[in-house]
Amino acid sequence: MANVRRRKDEAAGYLFIGPWLFGFLVLTLLPILASLWLSFTDYDILSPPRWAGLKNFGTMFLADPRYWRSAAATLYYAACAVPLRLGVALGVAMLLNKNRRGVAAFRALYYAPSVVGDSIAVAVMWRQIFGGEGLLNSLLRLAGLPGKRLWLADPRFAIWTLILLAAWQFGSAMLIFLAGLKQIPGELYESASIDGAGPARKFLRITLPMLTPIIFFNLVMQMINGLIVFTPALVITDGKPLDTTNFYALYLYRRAFETFQMGYGSAMAWVLMAAVALLSALVFKSSSRWVFYESESA
Amino acid sequence: MNKRIAAILFLALALSAGAFGQKKVDLKIAWWGSQVRHEATIKVIELYQRLNPNVSITYEFAGFDDYWTKMTTMAAGGQLPDVMQQDYSRIAEWQKRGLLEPLDPFVADRTLKLGGVAKPVLDSGTLDKKLYALSLGSNSYCMMLDVDAFKKAGVPLPAQDWTWADLERIAMQLHAKLGIWGVGGGFEVDELAWKANYLGLGQTMYTPDGKALAYKDDKALVDFLHMMLRLVKAGAAPSYQEYLANLGGATGNVQLDAIVTGKSAIEAVWSNQVITVATAAGAGRNFAVVHLPRHKKGGMASNFMKPSMFFSVTSQSKNKAEAAKFIDFWTNDVEANKILNAERGVPVDASVRAALKEIVSPVVKLGFEYIDRVAKDAAPTPPPEPAGHANIRQNVYVPIIREQVFYGVISPEEAAKQLREKAAAILAGK
Amino acid sequence: MRAESRSARLAREACFYLAASLSSLAMIYPILWLAASSLKAPDELWRKVYSLVPERLTWANYTKGWSGFGGIRFEVFYRNSAIYAGLGTLFAVVSSAFVAYGFARIEFRGKGFWFACMLLTLMIPPQIQIIPQYVMFAKIGWVNSYLPLIVPKLFGQAFFVFMFVQFLRGIPRELDEAAAIDGAGRLTVFARILLPLLKPALFTGSIFSLYWTWNEFMTPLIYLNSPRRYTLSMALRSFSDPSGLTDWGAIFAMSFLSLVPIFALFVAFQRYLVQGIATTGLKG
Repeated sequence: MANVRRRKDEAAGYLFIGPWLFGFLVLTLLPILASLWLSFTDYDILSPPRWAGLKNFGTMFLADPRYWRSAAATLYYAACAVPLRLGVALGVAMLLNKNRRGVAAFRALYYAPSVVGDSIAVAVMWRQIFGGEGLLNSLLRLAGLPGKRLWLADPRFAIWTLILLAAWQFGSAMLIFLAGLKQIPGELYESASIDGAGPARKFLRITLPMLTPIIFFNLVMQMINGLIVFTPALVITDGKPLDTTNFYALYLYRRAFETFQMGYGSAMAWVLMAAVALLSALVFKSSSRWVFYESESA
Repeated sequence: MNKRIAAILFLALALSAGAFGQKKVDLKIAWWGSQVRHEATIKVIELYQRLNPNVSITYEFAGFDDYWTKMTTMAAGGQLPDVMQQDYSRIAEWQKRGLLEPLDPFVADRTLKLGGVAKPVLDSGTLDKKLYALSLGSNSYCMMLDVDAFKKAGVPLPAQDWTWADLERIAMQLHAKLGIWGVGGGFEVDELAWKANYLGLGQTMYTPDGKALAYKDDKALVDFLHMMLRLVKAGAAPSYQEYLANLGGATGNVQLDAIVTGKSAIEAVWSNQVITVATAAGAGRNFAVVHLPRHKKGGMASNFMKPSMFFSVTSQSKNKAEAAKFIDFWTNDVEANKILNAERGVPVDASVRAALKEIVSPVVKLGFEYIDRVAKDAAPTPPPEPAGHANIRQNVYVPIIREQVFYGVISPEEAAKQLREKAAAILAGK
Repeated sequence: MRAESRSARLAREACFYLAASLSSLAMIYPILWLAASSLKAPDELWRKVYSLVPERLTWANYTKGWSGFGGIRFEVFYRNSAIYAGLGTLFAVVSSAFVAYGFARIEFRGKGFWFACMLLTLMIPPQIQIIPQYVMFAKIGWVNSYLPLIVPKLFGQAFFVFMFVQFLRGIPRELDEAAAIDGAGRLTVFARILLPLLKPALFTGSIFSLYWTWNEFMTPLIYLNSPRRYTLSMALRSFSDPSGLTDWGAIFAMSFLSLVPIFALFVAFQRYLVQGIATTGLKG
């Protein structure tokens, strides 16, 4: 009996993940393996690849100072932008989860920045906010401060214009949190109320634990997306000044497409993937200590 | 309904074309540009299709960066269009890998008639002694002057053969009198700081075989960078920081150019962009155009005649002769060039140029006259940038010369030295 | 709650509304800015860039922008984007939920391995996959069509699969086990019990997918070859070229218009996001 059940599970499991598995094996795996192979070649895209062994990796680690600058910039960005965005998203989601009048309107307004994305119009707007005569400096001057700093050209602050953009576009993380909050069964709060728990206790004992699967998801995804960040640096700062916003993915894209070093770019991509995978594995490993699954608690 | 009628008409046309023994031809054409160029190019394509009913052309366009990402990808997949717009600084990379088709057979059988095109223009698209690309317009770097600002400051306009020292002096004067930058952006461009400075000494950046740097002495580049730093320090030129933060930077925006907004009185631009800048500046402004400065008065010009961009036939094309025929039309047809309005630079065919000169607006005419003057004393056009130039530009020149020097991280001397070492390593194929 | 005095509660509410209103002002500044800029005349556009009040209103940017290029008006790009975003979202969300059920609820050999593989695909910068993918699609003759854009969505998108898995794992198992005891097969359990419970997540996912496909430019750029097939985001990008004269007014106008459908959909459907699951009241 147990055996039959087991085999049925195998079949059912593969039936359900079948579509993804098929797509993975047929459409995704090949290009990924191709890029792995290319990372060991000199490949200028326009002519066939030539085997180069570990040369790309050697150059990357030992002879390319820009590589390390881009890695440092990316880590700095992710370390600042991810917690900031998640914190804001969670806080706002909590506030907007209450049944208040007008909450729907606020939800829409807070989601607005995320809808505009990182199109060229947003790039222009964001640049003008931080420009010499831009909104930020004008406000600073109103407040009696000098307001003269060229934010986009300052090696210390340019990256912060991108971090702020990430924090400001917290809408998608907020929506996921909201959906997670909605999933928490109301009975839990009711019984807690009967036990005389206050709002703070309810948050710590019910909301937070029940939300951990979603916090976990948001954390992993934002971390990944923070480390492979591309478009904002491309359209807003162009990786400048002094490579302080030359994010890893941007740099590898430029190497691959602008200077025809697709082999080098592929090697960069695989190192990045290994690093992100390692970080994610750590987060996954830690999750057994802090993520609580309702479906697995019984 | 209209569509159906059009389809029937088209079918009839196709059939009648077939009756005359003409084969139906599909051509693909791709270019980069902004909307003005898209509109004009599409109109010319439509005109061509009307005149050649057996040809049906599909086309695609994008902005510069997107265009190259896309073309590179298509090349890898063997999907290149028949005719592609090419760039002087990239063409060698493409030719070297056999992606472009030599045009000489089509010139020989007069599919492509180039009788009215000057030899230097043809040379600019010639690699390994074969013609791989035809210039779509002649172009040269120039200094655009805001005549009104000069008048207001009481500074006389410089002569055509002015020098770098004149530029420094005049920029300082303009700054002192008007409080604006004397000379605006454009100086971080490699053509100006690097290439032009050596052309003015009769030297080139790269050896003809593209395997090494040709100039021996860093002094010209170092001197130029020192001059720029002096101008920036005095407030007579915008700093690089200013450029990054306020003058367009990543998004690139002609409307924010210093000369457009009246924040400077001199600006280095390509001559085909004079009209763009003047249009952005709006009506009621007066501009003049002079040569790039030289090293000494009456000395050699720093200018060279650059093809603004090319059309090339790709080796992946299945209709190479038809593609060449389209390029012929583009080059020699007066009506087509009236539509194009020299937006890609001054037409290369002499009779087309003469016909157009009569009808273009005064600003466009500035560019025509300038190209005529440059043609008389230009430095010989250096061969197209060698493969590896993109790498040098993006990974050596920009981060070292453009960024570190102007952020004061390293001295011009040190930068020029690093540039030499790293560029040499790349060119040697290390 | 009862312990709190009426005035204290009023003060607290007032604080909330004040803070929320002020911060939402910062939030919609971009949209207001875009709207204002799209109504400015070209000579005004770059003078006081941050201003939200056009000195004189003009609709010219809209009429010029809408006319597109080469006789292809913006409605064509809208239609293309709508088809792409609509189909892409439908396929991506449904297939991802299906796959997520397999990962979240069924024990089978190799599950951990495949799940890790799926997550790994998210960690490779997409820019590096462009060329090998294109070469592959060129070999099977799919380039110059919407196939490379839409077909992959039929096989689940890793982000959504992971997201739905996390939501499914938050749903008590007793619910589906009870149904299984009643004799319902896995498909029935999935479709009848879990999908309805997943509704907030499904709507959230749909909104993301819509907005991502709507804004995506790299894939359409690579695979679509005729301007008639361009999507909105691609058309908007081809408007501008750093060295050329760019009609920014038209770009702003069309950018603003391109946000309208996405934002309207969000507003229209957001009540489904908040409905929550079938359990009773959710007052914190």
